[in-house]
Amino acid sequence: MAGKVFAWFDERLGLEAFYSTVLDRKIPKVNWWFTLGSASLFLCVIQALTGVFLTMYYVPSPAVAYDSIQYITKGVAFGWLVRGIHHWSATLLVITLFLHMLRTFFYGAYKFPREMTWMTGVLLFLLTLGMGLTGYLLPWNQRSYWATTVATEIFGTVPFLGDFLFKVLRGGTDLSALTLARFFSAHIWILPAGVVLLLGVHMVLIVKLGISNIPGEDE
Amino acid sequence: MNEEQKNKYYDKYLQAKQKGVKFWPDIIYKDLIVSFALFLLVIGLAAFVGVAQEPKADPFDSNYVPRPEWYFLFLFEFLKFIPGQLEWVGTTLIPGIGILILLFLPFLDRNPYRHWKKRKIGLMVMGLIVLGIVGLTVRSVVTTPEVEEVALAGSIAEQVIQGQDLYSIYCVECHQPDGEGGEVVGVEGLEGVILKPINSQDEMWTRTDETLFNVIDYGQQDLGMPPNGLGYGGELPRNEIEKIVTFMRYTWDERAEIPEEAIVGIPALTEGEAPSYEVHISMVVKRYCISCHRPGKENNEYLMGSYQEMLTTGNNADKNIIAGDLQNSYLILTLYRESILDPATGEEMIGPMPPSKDLKAEYVEMFERWILEGMPETADEAAALSSPAVEEVAPESTVTEVTPEP
Ligand code: HEC
Ligand code: HEC
Ligand code: HEM
Repeated sequence: MAGKVFAWFDERLGLEAFYSTVLDRKIPKVNWWFTLGSASLFLCVIQALTGVFLTMYYVPSPAVAYDSIQYITKGVAFGWLVRGIHHWSATLLVITLFLHMLRTFFYGAYKFPREMTWMTGVLLFLLTLGMGLTGYLLPWNQRSYWATTVATEIFGTVPFLGDFLFKVLRGGTDLSALTLARFFSAHIWILPAGVVLLLGVHMVLIVKLGISNIPGEDE
Repeated sequence: MNEEQKNKYYDKYLQAKQKGVKFWPDIIYKDLIVSFALFLLVIGLAAFVGVAQEPKADPFDSNYVPRPEWYFLFLFEFLKFIPGQLEWVGTTLIPGIGILILLFLPFLDRNPYRHWKKRKIGLMVMGLIVLGIVGLTVRSVVTTPEVEEVALAGSIAEQVIQGQDLYSIYCVECHQPDGEGGEVVGVEGLEGVILKPINSQDEMWTRTDETLFNVIDYGQQDLGMPPNGLGYGGELPRNEIEKIVTFMRYTWDERAEIPEEAIVGIPALTEGEAPSYEVHISMVVKRYCISCHRPGKENNEYLMGSYQEMLTTGNNADKNIIAGDLQNSYLILTLYRESILDPATGEEMIGPMPPSKDLKAEYVEMFERWILEGMPETADEAAALSSPAVEEVAPESTVTEVTPEP
């Protein structure tokens, strides 16, 4: 019976092909540093899951954002835990990404034929930092308010484009309800969309090219 | 890379693959172990370290030292080394170049080798950059001042208690300890003005929290109510105003039920118990005196913020409190509502305290006993002077009273 069900799906989805190309492939013998990419992926998934939960209660308006976070931490069952996980997993993600980058750099894994894997990686790193920057404002507390004030001012110092960037980020000249709305939208829609897209390319490339081997002395 | 080098790479890679392992389960198994360890770490951090509590954003509190997320600290620190007029070099040029180099690294690095022994320069440059980033981050953490511990009121009860303390400091001088209002005495500019009660049903049923917030924040300057919000020249950040409003609502509005824990009375004295500054006097002072007796107010320079201040400040510091001597301690005389005249000019130097109305008899007695016992500071000191000791010396003290001066 189970075999029949599998065959039915396999006929339509090509499960066997997936198994043989993705799971049952040979990979050079590598060390523990090569787990950092999948660890980053894992933390990304945690961010997504906990993030979805947080949006159920979070309200992106200056009047209630702070209170909605208070409610999440004090009122919702295990809300404090979910928020804590979102917070700490973001922190660890930056660390694992940084180390992942260093390891691919150290083994020269960015060289032929993996140039595009590297480039999508760099963009993913930037997007992740963007997630950190936009997420930081959302609790609408003193720390987030003033850090974002300074951060947006820094964008304002860019030659020629500065004024434009500054106003686009803030939605005007002041840090206001518009800024919060923009950062929220960037944090939950725009940047994650970019991440998913680039991550897709990153992953397809990894499967297609195979994980690099640890280079020998003559390589 | 030329074709030959590419082919050589493919050969090597094929060899490595053949000697290698299966993605499933060998590689995935390692990945799962690391992910699981990270998962435990995240849960542990979330449960035991948690997320730091912060007060609500206050656009007017520009004294706040901005603290970016830790992984941006190195950039902030880096900017400190760039002179102001070249700011854009630090904010745009250098980070921009850095990102571009990183992004196009595979094309900029023409060296076909991958083993570290053949890429020493590249690795050294990267090593220096990483060291620089770590160094700047550490430097930034070390040099930014610690976040001041702000008393964050979580529960309603905590907010009410902290709100009452704030009310006692900022509002009592005009509105009286329980918001009952009446004639203002001893406040510059409002002398003799009669204030309506703000603790009444009329007030509470017709003013929403938001209205109260605005009254405190912006004031009612034509009527003499000063602005208190930082944004309008006052001293209170928004979260403190919110606490005062919570205090007013829960204490004066009979529709709101005040939580048990929020009712902190001033501990009453039992028979023969000696009051201490710590437990008794400081509480009375906080409710009834501190509003005027703090810096920047008209009060003959008499500050009552601490034990030391109470005993040593004031234009008449040496006469305000004289241990064991009620008849000559100005503080007691003012509580008896006597005017103290300037010996030189004969004009009133100190009026009755608190200026507008009598202090409750039980609190006056508290001050009396405190001064009689020689102003004990801590609860322990007071306990040593309490009941048994007092009862033993009681007969003797009547003797000493009849022999005033040896
Ligand atoms: C310098 C004296 C002074 C101080 C200090 C002061 N007020 Fe007032 N307040 C006034 C005056 C004057 C009015 C005008 C109302 C009146 O005439 O009764 C007023 C009015 C009010 C009202 C009533 C407004 C209305 O229309 O219902 C509230 C509520 C109030 N004050 C709260 C506070 C609080 C809370 C504080 C402490 C943060 C405070 N006040 C500090 C003088 C003061
Ligand atoms: C409404 C404001 C106000 C309040 C409340 C108040 N005081 Fe005063 N106090 C003054 C002023 C003003 C003076 C300066 C003398 C004068 O004008 O009467 C003063 C002076 C004094 C002095 C004399 C200081 C010196 O060195 O000359 C003493 C003692 C004193 N107050 C005790 C108290 C005590 C105890 C309380 C609380 C139970 C209290 N005051 C509450 C306004 C106040
Ligand atoms: C959201 C962020 C990222 C995720 C989820 C991710 C995930 C992965 C995974 C699972 C691998 C397989 C090999 C391994 O685990 O080491 C990999 C490989 C790789 N990644 Fe990433 N990565 C991310 C960001 C980056 C960044 C920031 C860089 C570098 C700037 C980068 C560059 C590379 C390169 C060059 C490879 C190929 C390595 C090889 O084949 O040996 N990635 N990535």
